[in-house]
Amino acid sequence: MFPTLTLGPLVIPTAPLTVLIGLWVALAAVERAARVLELDVNQTYGLATTGIIAGFVGARLAFVGLHWPAYQDNLLGILWPINSGYHLLGGLVAGGLALVYVGRWRRLPAARTLDALTPGVVTGLIFVSLADFLGGPGYGDPTTLPWGISLFGIRRHPVQVYEIAVGLVALAVWAGSLPPRGRDGRLLLSTTATYALGRLLVDAYRANAPLTAEGYHTVQIASLAVALIALILIARQAAAATSGDDQR
Amino acid sequence: MLNRFQSTILILFVALLGGAWIVISREDVLQFTGRPELTEAPLAGYLAPDFTLPTIQGEWVTLSNLRGRPVVLNFWATWCPPCRAEIPDIQRVHERLGHRVHILGVDQGEMANVITPFGLEMGITYPLLVDADSQVNRAYGINALPTTLFVDAEGVVREVFTGILNRAILESRIEKLLRDAD
Repeated sequence: MFPTLTLGPLVIPTAPLTVLIGLWVALAAVERAARVLELDVNQTYGLATTGIIAGFVGARLAFVGLHWPAYQDNLLGILWPINSGYHLLGGLVAGGLALVYVGRWRRLPAARTLDALTPGVVTGLIFVSLADFLGGPGYGDPTTLPWGISLFGIRRHPVQVYEIAVGLVALAVWAGSLPPRGRDGRLLLSTTATYALGRLLVDAYRANAPLTAEGYHTVQIASLAVALIALILIARQAAAATSGDDQR
Repeated sequence: MLNRFQSTILILFVALLGGAWIVISREDVLQFTGRPELTEAPLAGYLAPDFTLPTIQGEWVTLSNLRGRPVVLNFWATWCPPCRAEIPDIQRVHERLGHRVHILGVDQGEMANVITPFGLEMGITYPLLVDADSQVNRAYGINALPTTLFVDAEGVVREVFTGILNRAILESRIEKLLRDAD
């Protein structure tokens, strides 16, 4: 792990730096996907950028709202420091609403645009896992396997590396499904199902995973639910396509 | 292309297999909370490395003796401008939550005769620990100031925060530690 990067007198925490690079790479992935799917590249890129900015602003405002007494006599604290003080759910809601609003306002085709945003989201998740790996907030179960990494005297599963591998497989599924056969939205669904099933598999090796009271991994439960929903929607799409062919 | 029956069978198969994997992966909650495999490291998820340091008043503080309440370890120095900027917020949080959480300022490489007048000038009432030879700073791998570690009531590091904090960030982290402790 490399929690900080030292450049002369500068000490830079690697995790936020990795996330920033991840955002840039994710936007590049969206741009490329939009081109492949024959969408308006500028509009799609702009939509993704708007979603990210709205997400950051929403996450910050939700955090500020929840901790207003600590901010009311220090309004500059709303702007600084920027490396912390965000509320994940607030960010997801604000980012999602911005995507829906701007997407409808610009009359972008919803399903195909989501197909184009998918590799960006997966790329972002890959970089979040990489940031976790470098910064060290998560770690795996003890293992004797040769690819285990030694952390303070104990060999452990490199669980974030597994997550990165899952993301790469999901991206491969997205790329392997080109040119998109069937209906728009299929790339989103197949990539989501792959990523969710992968996380269901690898989260079992995370040592500090959030658990239910009974000891079940909450990420695994959520991943299975997401995977099943995606598979059901794929099956419904396929059935609709088949009945459409029959009618013709 | 799968037909409707085949798709249904596939989805049921995934649901069963996934459910079985979740059950197999279930953690023994008693063992988990006992944390038998934890080692000491200044990283989230590990036991905070133990130390004993004197305060500027000459009392000795041992980290492991503080278990039962969350601990905030703020690594700082009098010459560090961002450390100075966050001190009023840390002091306010100490005044509000100091009865439920231990807040400790661990100075880096300075003597008590430097820290004491600074602490008085800033009105600091939380314990300021003297690490004159920076041994504890080195054990915690502190190479950027300020750095703040949030340690839960069982002595496990929950977060390592590099950079300046404000009151809201500090309170949100402490309140989470207190909720988890409850």
